[in-house]
Formats: sequence, structure tokens, C-alpha cells
Amino acid sequence: MAEIRNITSAPRRKRPGASGPGPRQRSVDADAVRATPSGQSLWQRLQEFGQVVASAATQHLAPELLRDLDTEIATKIDAAPLATNDFGFDPWGFEKETARRCFFTSALLYRYYFRVQTRGIENLPAGRVLLIGNHAGQIAIDAAMIATACLMEGNPPRIVRGMGEYWLSRLPWLNILMVRFGSVVGTPKNCVDLLEHGEAVLAFPEGVRGMNKGFSERYQLQDFGLGFLRLALQTGTPIVPVATVGSEEQAPSLGNLESLAGILGMPAFPMVLTPVPLPVRYHVEFGEPLIFEGNANDEDHVIEEKVNIVKARLRTMLRDGLERRVGIFS
Amino acid sequence: MQKVLITGIAGGLGRLVAERLGKNMSVVGVDHTPWVGHPPQFTMITADLRKKKVEDVFRRERPDIVVHLGLERHNFDPALRHDVNVGGTKRVIEAAAAYGTSNIIILTSSYVYGALPRNPFYMDEETTLNVSRHYPEIRDIAEMDAIATNFLWRYPEIRTAVLRPASTLGPRTHSSIATYLRLNPSPKLIGFDPLVQFIHELDVAEAIQKAIDTGVRGVFNIVGPGAVPISTAIRESGGTALPVPETPTRVLLRNLFRWGLFPFPADAVDFIKYPCTIDGRRFREATGFLAQRSLGETLRSVRP
Repeated sequence: MAEIRNITSAPRRKRPGASGPGPRQRSVDADAVRATPSGQSLWQRLQEFGQVVASAATQHLAPELLRDLDTEIATKIDAAPLATNDFGFDPWGFEKETARRCFFTSALLYRYYFRVQTRGIENLPAGRVLLIGNHAGQIAIDAAMIATACLMEGNPPRIVRGMGEYWLSRLPWLNILMVRFGSVVGTPKNCVDLLEHGEAVLAFPEGVRGMNKGFSERYQLQDFGLGFLRLALQTGTPIVPVATVGSEEQAPSLGNLESLAGILGMPAFPMVLTPVPLPVRYHVEFGEPLIFEGNANDEDHVIEEKVNIVKARLRTMLRDGLERRVGIFS
Repeated sequence: MQKVLITGIAGGLGRLVAERLGKNMSVVGVDHTPWVGHPPQFTMITADLRKKKVEDVFRRERPDIVVHLGLERHNFDPALRHDVNVGGTKRVIEAAAAYGTSNIIILTSSYVYGALPRNPFYMDEETTLNVSRHYPEIRDIAEMDAIATNFLWRYPEIRTAVLRPASTLGPRTHSSIATYLRLNPSPKLIGFDPLVQFIHELDVAEAIQKAIDTGVRGVFNIVGPGAVPISTAIRESGGTALPVPETPTRVLLRNLFRWGLFPFPADAVDFIKYPCTIDGRRFREATGFLAQRSLGETLRSVRP
């Protein structure tokens, strides 16, 4: 873990004036944010993350740092196992240049806005793997942060293939972007093809039930679909549970207006209280791979038992993550 | 020497296939337009697939192999399209069965799956033929495909192969996608850029040859060297893309098509909006077919 961190932060340390040896901006945290007792007032919390953002911006968003980050991402993408054709597209439409720009944005968020702490990246096996996570936060920033973690911290770097909501492929531009940085429409066929090709596939079996749930239900796993486990059995793929702590507080919502969503043809219509996601600190933890055996066409209750093992593991990881966490923003 | 009957022989692909198969088979060609300057050893018959004369050809010639390429692709009259593609196919394959043909190759298109937002990349042969859901003008292709597939199961003793090739390009091909790429500028929808698979006409001819040689039965997707976004395809084939907004384009196309001014109906827009990419694994495993021309070569063949 520590080793991987050091490797990724190595280019940054060459910068003159970098304070302290700490990988992942420990200096910022130490200066600006002290361990936050949970009994703080809202105003104090606002001030606190204002300081975090301001100090991160002044200390770190220097042009050479952006250039370094861009180079770092390009190197990582080049090191990732990819099968691109003569025109730079892989069979699922992934393309390096667009992906580089997308990952640049998400890496900025990853390092300086959500200040993601990643644990257990060494649990990511080589070859085919199904990453199963808890979904939250109204928009799929959790997916972007997990993908960025696998690219920036993975050894070797991995391009994570997200199983996107069907709705996304109808949206102008977004449908192109989603495909260019490696995601696909989340159909079983796409998932099987990607796994058989040896890719890392990220799926959230809760879907919009999880992502667009109300604030009161944070960290409560919603119903899981069974499909992902059948596909894992069918293709002999290890499942790596990925617990994300932080995303559940990034955009508090009163709940999902399903009727209005239906009228507008959207998958969900969350009543969000904040205009932009809050700069919560993300903690992404990759669990040990779970390998299941059995018939992919077993009855639902047989599959459900296996799904419950994945859910239980995720729940444990979330609970431990919440216990380790000092404050929502720190 | 085996005798092969080729329908639609005067078309670009028909001529390629005839020249290729003609090397070691005797060729009988059927088309509603004559092939001027065809090789003298070919027997050419001018006949309309909608007419009973076609059956007489089968009775007289009794071909061992039938390659059915006679398709109406760009036509402003949907009734005529339907008669040729659905009625004609039925007539040809029933006659082939009646007069002792042992091997039938029927060429349809990957378009039968339709371009829909929920399409996975790499649809296999079991995928529903969804094209008629949104694109009634070419539902005859899906119907024709269904007739052929049905025939496959009704006559287990006849080696029937239904081939669904990806978008075909080549100097002699006038497929929809080739016509589209030759428009210059080719209209491209703002905010959409789906992956499109291409295959060279020579590779399609090769696939037909492989299907005959191996005598495979079944429904098969035929894919070329891979897929690129439609914008890349336009650029690499030497054209220019004209970004257009979707709704006005559909309205314009609807009217141009109605008045017979432009060969694409409004719903053809789906094919430059959503992917319709297919999985060619089954044919590759059954016959060992692998497209020989690279993507670049295939794309550049639009403007030789």
C-alpha cells in the first residue's frame, strides 16, 4: 500500500518548495484540518472545508503540477493493458486521448477535491475481475473515483470498464464521452464480453436505487440485482467488493421523485439540497477477491445466498470505514 | 462441375461473387437488369424475382448451390421493396428446395438488429431483430431474414446459411453506408458518434466462398477488421463530416424521402446515432473466416 503511494507521488516531490515527505498531501491535511470532533457546528464545518479547498488551490494547483499530472496520467494509460486498433479505438470505443482528458479532470477531483484515500488496491487481481460497489451520491462520482484509483494506484494501472445506466446512451455528448473513457451500456452481453477479454468491470448492483436514495438511508445497501453474480459464475470471474465511504454524504437528498422521473423519462429525480457535490473526503477500499463456484443458472435463492455474502462483506467494509473516518470532510 | 445460381448477379457484390465462384463452378446469373460484358461462360437470365419466371429458371437449370443476393436496398417505393425482398426471397428458396438444391446462401444485413440505445456492442445471432421497431422502411430485411431462418429449420437436409454482414464497403458496393460515406459532406449528428463496423466487399465474397466450402448450416454474423466511430470513418474514407442537429434532420429527411429526392428515410438516422455492432465469433469458429483487409484499406476503398 505505502509503496504504491510513494510511486504515484514521486513526480510531485520533485517540485521545489514541496513541504514534507507525505504522500497524498498529508501536509495540507495537517495544516488546515485538525481531527474534527463530531459535535462541530455546520458553520465551523463550512469554514473548515473552505480552508481545505483554498490551501489546496494555492499550494498545489500550479501550472507545472497540472502538467505533471497530465504526464502521469498519460504514462499510466500507456501502461494499462489495452487492445486499441490502428485508429486508436479499442473494441468498446475506448480512446486514449479523450480518456486522458477525462481522467485528468477526475484525477484533480480525486487528489484535491475529494482527497481520496485508497486502501487495498493490491487486492485487484490481474486479468478479469468484477468490482462490486455501493452506489451513492446522486451522480456517479463514486464510479469515477474508483476508476481513477485503479488507474493511478493500480499496479499495473487498470482501465475500469463501467456498466453505465441505459439512459446515458441517449444523452448527447455524454454517450460519446462515456464510451471513450471505457464505460459501456450495462447489458449482460457487454459485461460477459469484457470479462472474457480479461477486463476489470465495475458494477453497482443497487443501480439508481442506491445512487439516488435519500440522505436518511446513507450507508444502507439497497436491494442488489442477482445478474452480476450469475455473470461472475458464468465467466469464472473473481468479485472484488469496493466500499466507498464519503460518497453517501456528497449530495444530501430528500429522496427520489419517481413519478416525476417517469414523466421526464429519467432513471431518477433526486431532490438534491446542494447545487454541487460537497468536498467530502472519499475513502475507497478494495476488499479481498471473492471466488464463487456453482451453476450460473441456479435458482434465485441459491444465487441470492452468494449475493448476500458479497453484501455482507461490503457492509463490514463500510462499517469499518465509517469507524476509521475522523470527519466527513477531513 | 457444380452449378451455382446467383441472384442479383449484376450488382457490385454479385459480380465479385460470380467471378470468384466462376473459377471452379458453372455460373447461372439472375437479375432484373442485365450484366453488360459478363464473362461469356456465365449463363445470364434477365428475370424479376417477383415473377413466376424465376421458378422456370430453377426447373431448367437445377443448380446445386444458390447464392441469394437479389435485394432491393434503396427504393422510394416500400411496396416494391417488400415484394422483391420478402416475396422474392420466399420464391427463390422454395424453388431451390423444390428442384434439389443442396446448399443455399442468403445474404441479409447486420441492420436487422436495428440501432437502439440499449444495444450491447457485439450482438450475437440470438439477439432479437429489432429494426422494425423504429425503422419500418427496412422491416422487409428483417422479414426476409426471418423467412430464411424459418426455412433453415424446415429443411434440415439443405445446408442453408443466413449471413448477416456488417456495413459493407468497396469500390463496387452501393450499400447504404457506402452511399452515406460518399455524400460529401456526410451529415453527422451533433452529440452522437457511434461505433460502426465495416467489412470490405472482397471479404464478404470470401465469407460466401467459405460458407459454401465448409457447408455450414445456420445464421451467422459476418464481421470485418473492427469498428471505428462514424466520424473517424468519414474522415478516413476521405469525406467531410457536417454536424447537424437531430430533429430538423429527421423532418428534412422525412420530406426529401417522401418526394423521392434523397435515398434515406428519416429513421436511417438511428444508424448514425446508436451502435449496431455485431459479434462474428460464431462464423469465425465454424469456418475459420477472418477478414483479410485492414480497417484503413476497407475505409479508403469507398473512394478508390
